[in-house]
Amino acid sequence: MKQTIPRQLMLFTAAGLLLTVWAFPVIWGILTSFKTERDVLAYPPVWIFTPTLDNYRAVLSGADSILPNLWSSIVVSSTATLLTMLFSVPAAYAIARLKYPGKQTSGFYVLVTQMLPPVGLVIPYYLVLQRIGGLDTYSGLILIFLTFSLPFAIWLMVSYFEDIPLEMEEAALLDRAGRLRALWYVILPQVRGGIAVTTIFVFLNSWNEFMFSVLLGGNRVRPVTVAMFNFISVEQTQWARLAAAAIVAMAPVILIGLAAQRHIVKGLTVGAVKGGGRR
Amino acid sequence: MTQRGSIRIEGAVKKHDQLTVLHGIDLDIKAGEFFVLLGPSGSGKTTTLRVLAGLESLSAGKVFMDDEDVTSKEPGERDVAMVFQSYALYPHMSVEENIAFPLKMIGQNQSSRNLAAREAATKVNIEHLMDRKPGQLSGGQQQRVALARAIVRQPRLFLLDEPLSNLDAKLRLETRIELRKLQRSLNVTTVYVTHDQEEAMTLADRVAVFMEGKIVQIDTPRNIFARPATLTVASFIGSPPMNLLAAQWQGSTITFKNGDSLQIEQSTAASREVIFGVRPSDLAPSAEGVSATVELIEDLGDSITVALLIDQQPIKMKLPHTQLIKENETIKVSCQPATVHLFDPLTGQRL
Amino acid sequence: MAAAQAIDSGALALARQERRFAWYLLGPSLLLLLITTTAPLVYLGWTSFFRLDMTMPWLSGFAGLDNYGKMLGDPRFMNSLWLTVVYTSSTVCLQILVGLSLAMLVQQIPKGQALLRIAAILPIVLAPVVVGLFWRTLVLAPDVGLVDLVTRALGLGSQNWLGDPQLALISVIAIHTWQWTPFAFLVFLATLATLPADVYEAARLDRANAWQRFRYLTLPLIRPAIIMVVIMRTMTALSAFAAIFAATGGGPGSSTEILNLYAYRTSFTELNLGYGSSLAMVLLGLTLAVSYVMFKRRKAAK
Repeated sequence: MKQTIPRQLMLFTAAGLLLTVWAFPVIWGILTSFKTERDVLAYPPVWIFTPTLDNYRAVLSGADSILPNLWSSIVVSSTATLLTMLFSVPAAYAIARLKYPGKQTSGFYVLVTQMLPPVGLVIPYYLVLQRIGGLDTYSGLILIFLTFSLPFAIWLMVSYFEDIPLEMEEAALLDRAGRLRALWYVILPQVRGGIAVTTIFVFLNSWNEFMFSVLLGGNRVRPVTVAMFNFISVEQTQWARLAAAAIVAMAPVILIGLAAQRHIVKGLTVGAVKGGGRR
Repeated sequence: MTQRGSIRIEGAVKKHDQLTVLHGIDLDIKAGEFFVLLGPSGSGKTTTLRVLAGLESLSAGKVFMDDEDVTSKEPGERDVAMVFQSYALYPHMSVEENIAFPLKMIGQNQSSRNLAAREAATKVNIEHLMDRKPGQLSGGQQQRVALARAIVRQPRLFLLDEPLSNLDAKLRLETRIELRKLQRSLNVTTVYVTHDQEEAMTLADRVAVFMEGKIVQIDTPRNIFARPATLTVASFIGSPPMNLLAAQWQGSTITFKNGDSLQIEQSTAASREVIFGVRPSDLAPSAEGVSATVELIEDLGDSITVALLIDQQPIKMKLPHTQLIKENETIKVSCQPATVHLFDPLTGQRL
Repeated sequence: MAAAQAIDSGALALARQERRFAWYLLGPSLLLLLITTTAPLVYLGWTSFFRLDMTMPWLSGFAGLDNYGKMLGDPRFMNSLWLTVVYTSSTVCLQILVGLSLAMLVQQIPKGQALLRIAAILPIVLAPVVVGLFWRTLVLAPDVGLVDLVTRALGLGSQNWLGDPQLALISVIAIHTWQWTPFAFLVFLATLATLPADVYEAARLDRANAWQRFRYLTLPLIRPAIIMVVIMRTMTALSAFAAIFAATGGGPGSSTEILNLYAYRTSFTELNLGYGSSLAMVLLGLTLAVSYVMFKRRKAAK
């Protein structure tokens, strides 16, 4: 059936809307980061301007540098992601493919822990960490990052493990592999894609986390998400520098998002179709 | 030295919660035998196979291999190899790695593993596919990889779970012959599960017919065909299946509902009701006999199958193509007395 | 029957091995979860029964159900409940409507889907706090923001998007919807791609028009996906914090103070951790109740 002209128009309008509304703001932000403060405040808005790297220089070096914050983010997010994957992959395998008493309850428990509102967790964490001097420490922050990463990762991995045909373990057992070697040689290689996707999501979630970082971190441990507020205060907003800081802070996740977009889309839909998920 | 691979199952019972899947199975399989478990879906044949593999546990009963009690032994410890219906190949490994995997698990070094894998692959004609991944192979090739993986360990028992069911008809026939030849050359005890009675007939040394969790007959294919032990076995074996009619038996005469009668070999004193059975290929038109109306003639080229009605019951008759019969004719049919099968209408047992 | 018992123990040994393996794999995670989630929640509940006001530390002590009683007469609490309901339901509905419409339209453009996928992924991977800050500054700020430029260009003047109580609520809903609609869009796009084409052809032959095809074919077929998206987006909306905090901080006043934010402000700005704990407990109860209901409906729908 031939597409009529108005129909095509509608389709392109929809696509255009999508691109404008969702992509343009990011592009606007990038543009702003290269403007001087004067150019930002100019009205009518300047489209042609002399780009400057001043904002990036200010954000990456000197007194206002957010490099230490980048480092905080890297340490906290990477460690949290690594720990999460180490714990969640075996756990998910057990839930997905092994028989043991309390299977239903444990599965349900994992699901429920995914739904906990962060504000409910941050209050007791704050009180406890304060008492034991765990505020503003890497381990304190990484530990609470596990609260949202671990259940999410388990649930996502469970759906990947469930996709493998049932007879895989049986064939491996008959081939004298034993349970552990069956998992290592036969099952895990088949969920490599799932592990990659889950790792990406866990890392993204950790990198972008804010509430725990701002309340339980401090001057030493201060991820980039908190550092954003360096450039905005009651008196004034350093527009261009804020934009530059945002770009720098978000550069890793944007790059990962672009590089792994197919994986991410697949991961989103798998999670949506098969089970709960927090992102 | 006695050959290894004799299998014995004693009184195997398997329950799934309240449902009993196996009602007490007894099997005695000789070393080197090609033994087929035949039956419709849900009859317990696959469960029995998995019990032999150690993948299912028994609620009661024992399993012996070479007179050793293996009932509580793990699948890996029984020296048994299995070809799954879905082949269960490891998709991330190459064909060579798939076949060599069992040897890797028992600690053989790489070079001797690959050598053995190549040997096994050659036996099933896939030595040219060693570097491919299962996803790049056709169904028939995948099946051979599964076979090679099974034979590479030289186990004492092969278990095959409907290995031909995923292949198309022509491939099925070809592979059937190859399987038989392979088994003969390796001389390994083989237990083979299928619902296809033709497969059972052509492959087996002996067949165990499963119905609803019980074995109803164990015998050579020829004997099962010639003397089915129960009604269900009789109607299951043979293509087209055996014709079965209700009738009265007295003396040496079988009388049908429409009054016609036939003479048979067996005789009985009192009159009794029976189920009369005769294979389509044992029926023929004759001068004297039972009257029947011809409904439909299926011309298969070298033979014709005639669908008849006797007493409004559908009956099939198989004849050479040279016979001339017309549809809607009324003819008389009869059979040799020796080819008659009689069954008790209540128990289904052969008389 | 000694023989039968011997068999059972043999069979049990195999099952026992599997169980032990399962516990080695799952145990550590369960333990970790217990320590990091369940124990803190128990502590939260405990704290909610106390009076724990950092500004008046001399008053701390056991308070029983006082905190909860206080809530019932607290207009700010009622306000936060109301805002939570409005916020959550608005954004989820909008996300689904917009996401589904866009997915249905885009589905028919086979080319360029890669580009649209990238456009859709960008908002999702950004940190909500950055999104909030971004909208606060570059989008909604008077004189400088994108929206302001557009409204002034259209002659509609300037609005104080984040300073006016009503507009602020609309703004934060818009921010959340902006960030998360692509998720619904991507899920629906993927689901629509799995729908069988021949069913639609049969419907066309049966003279069903586009609306009928949508209503009687598409909707029922994607119902599981819609339900899943509703569940996931609702959970996110209930615990939404960073974007609102960055954009309005809960204000002006309390006009965007959903329960989440109210609990936060009470605990960490007003330093009344006892009351804040009880508020958090209510949010927890609300979240669990909502998820319970939703999962029940999902099971019923299957």
